[in-house]
Amino acid sequence: MNGAISNNIRTLRFMHGEMSQAELGLRIGLTRQTIAAIEAGKYAPSLEAAFRIADVFNVSLAEVFQWDASAPNSQA
Amino acid sequence: MPYREKTAWLSLLAMAMVFIPYFTWATLHPPGPEIPNLSQMAIYACASLSWAVILGIGHLLLRWSSPFEAKLSMDERDIAIAHKARGYAYGVLITGMILVGGVMPFTNGGWEIANTAFFMIVLAECVFYANVVRSYRRQLG
Repeated sequence: MNGAISNNIRTLRFMHGEMSQAELGLRIGLTRQTIAAIEAGKYAPSLEAAFRIADVFNVSLAEVFQWDASAPNSQA
Repeated sequence: MPYREKTAWLSLLAMAMVFIPYFTWATLHPPGPEIPNLSQMAIYACASLSWAVILGIGHLLLRWSSPFEAKLSMDERDIAIAHKARGYAYGVLITGMILVGGVMPFTNGGWEIANTAFFMIVLAECVFYANVVRSYRRQLG
């Protein structure tokens, strides 16, 4: 089934003083590896984690995550 | 490497170090039918004890080398990975238990049944930890 979640976390981290994946993870209760997997589009976070990420960057959820219906699913 | 992946590798290593020799020995030298078979029970106990000691030392070393990561509780992805891996392991375990409890009592007895049950439990554990490692390697959740 096609469809994938893309995200702007890398850009948002850059815009917030080059925040590290570890720091972002620490602020929302996830490990650095989980943040890396989310950034790479390999893991779709829970709705709560997605809201927490948006909250850290003080933006709306839609500014962090986008749904691309035509993209191939990268999660196996 | 995530801490949970390290502990999964440790579990796989401990099982390989102890149970490959144990099951090789049990296959090459099938236990006799005498009851109680104390020598077989002693080997069985030694294997289990060795496994526990290797795991214990390994966990202490991992905690010592990564104290911060060791204190972190599982996050949602760790839980999702463990949940998915447990599903595969359950399939192996239930197949083994059907074999051991539903088929083997009619064809085999004693230590053959005990060792097959033990083998299927070890195999289910291996499937669990192998899937955990695979998921972390591929960054899946």
